[in-house]
Amino acid sequence: MTLEPATPVENALEVEDVHVQLGDTRVLRGVNLQVPRGRIVAVIGPNGCGKTTLLRCLLGLQKVDRGEIRLFGKPIGPEVLARVGYVPQRLQVDPSFSLSVREFLALRRRETRFWFWQTHRATDAHLRETLAELDAVHLLDRPLAGLSGGQLQRVLIAYSLLGRPEILVLDEPTAGVDTPGEHSFYELIASIHRRLGLTVVLVSHDLGMVFRHAAWVYALNGVVCCEGPPEEVLDAESLKAAYGIHVAPYHHHHHAGHPHAHPVVAPPGQSVPIAFRKR
Amino acid sequence: MPDFLSEPYMQRALLAAIILGPMCGLLGVFVTARRMAFFSETIAHSALTGVALGFLVGFDEPTLPVLLVCCVLAVAMLWLKEHSALLTDTIMAVLLSSSVATGVLLLKFQPNRWADLDKYLFGDILSVSWDDVRIAAVVALVVVIVVFRYLNPLTLLATNEDLAHVSGVRVRPLNYAFVLLVTLTVALGVRLVGIVLVTSLVVIPAATARGFATNLRQHLVLGTLLGLVGASGGVVLGYPLDFPTGPTITLTLAALFVVSLVYSRARRRRASSPLPVPQP
Ligand SMILES: Nc1ncnc2c1ncn2[C@@H]1O[C@H](COP(=O)(O)OP(=O)(O)OP(=O)(O)O)[C@@H](O)[C@H]1O
Ligand SMILES: [Mg+2]
Repeated sequence: MTLEPATPVENALEVEDVHVQLGDTRVLRGVNLQVPRGRIVAVIGPNGCGKTTLLRCLLGLQKVDRGEIRLFGKPIGPEVLARVGYVPQRLQVDPSFSLSVREFLALRRRETRFWFWQTHRATDAHLRETLAELDAVHLLDRPLAGLSGGQLQRVLIAYSLLGRPEILVLDEPTAGVDTPGEHSFYELIASIHRRLGLTVVLVSHDLGMVFRHAAWVYALNGVVCCEGPPEEVLDAESLKAAYGIHVAPYHHHHHAGHPHAHPVVAPPGQSVPIAFRKR
Repeated sequence: MPDFLSEPYMQRALLAAIILGPMCGLLGVFVTARRMAFFSETIAHSALTGVALGFLVGFDEPTLPVLLVCCVLAVAMLWLKEHSALLTDTIMAVLLSSSVATGVLLLKFQPNRWADLDKYLFGDILSVSWDDVRIAAVVALVVVIVVFRYLNPLTLLATNEDLAHVSGVRVRPLNYAFVLLVTLTVALGVRLVGIVLVTSLVVIPAATARGFATNLRQHLVLGTLLGLVGASGGVVLGYPLDFPTGPTITLTLAALFVVSLVYSRARRRRASSPLPVPQP
């Protein structure tokens, strides 16, 4: 039985058999994933399973020992990175650094080069507009180092959006965001995704969020031990495969209709997206 | 013309201060933001090996050997940082103490130079030559061009290296360039302020400016100005008082720092008490 996707979907990101060893730890042991354009794809997994390492590979921050990664069909380089927005898991800004949010955001705009962040009216309007979307205009003249975790995350997202990215890579974007804040935070990312048609790759421990917003989920544990639409991956058995211990599944009502409602390009060598690919 | 300016050595020293002070102040903003104060300290101390080695090899003026040895040490530090699992702090402590030990031993073998040790440690205004002033002017020009040409990438680099990489900054070359500029600046500052005190010229203006600045632009401008005021003020004040230049410069900078500390504390107190105190 083969089930070809109706229309071939172009992949924003392709990861093929990626191996990474850090020190003595073989962190990634043959990871494969495909992210179609315009999707929200979540990567889940226990602490230390290599999620951050995988994202660092996508961004050319970590050399891969074996395997291949392509963004928009091209190998990672400055040219494709210009189309990427990245929000790191944590960013420590030294308190002795006086950079203001306005100056930080202005760094992302080309016209501020050579101008010592002299804010032109157009640039200023643009910064305000982007911050307004993220509910953070009031932070414009605050020092970057004085922001709380959640405020910093918003500013970092604003920073990546100012580069007009085609793909947004977020590493646990809600680390340091309180629970109600967390909820609205993902709503925010989802609405930005809808409006701009961005591809989003995010790491999250929040299975509820993954269930609500992600189109496809990869459960990582050195390898991709399980992938599929959230309603399939987030059940007890596949979570057990991913986390190695019993995790309460995310409760949800079953949708009528096809589990594979999303056109997804199959991994190489397989014609059907496989939901429960256990080790 | 004030009478101290009729002395050629004072002219040279004042010019050196006017060039080096602002340069240290400007770079100091990035040095402090990147927690590289100890790096500056390490480079400064390696100058002792440069001085001793220079004399041993037969140089009359230690400036060139000092610049060379400091650059070698800076590159060694960057290399060790990339190729070992050691903490940067540890690497620097090892390099600092080894280069001081090497310098002291090499000087001990040259008894006529050993007597001048304190001049290298605490600076000697008489030792600043016209060549030193010229080299400082050239390095200052390069620093100004690089800092303003690469201001955005340098700022991003100081914020977060990963973010800078993803934003298209070529992190490694820029890092090396920045470290080498700091190294050259510190090595030149050694002639004026001395090995032990030169870090004050890099760190204190930036730290002082931090107390007044509310954004990076103000921080850079103020840091540069304070470097200028502190360094040239120290040279000018030292003359009538007959104080050694190095310590005078450092104390001038420290006095400005205390003012900034008081100011920023007062500002914070004002900001944190929104309610006016009721009058009796
Ligand atoms: N520099 C390093 N040297 C050796 N091992 C490392 C290094 N960096 C990370 N590791 C190891 O690699 C593994 C994967 O780390 P990674 O940060 O990718 O995990 P993660 O999935 O992002 O975890 P978390 O959920 O805690 O963020 C961990 O076991 C970690 O201990
Ligand atoms: Mg992580």
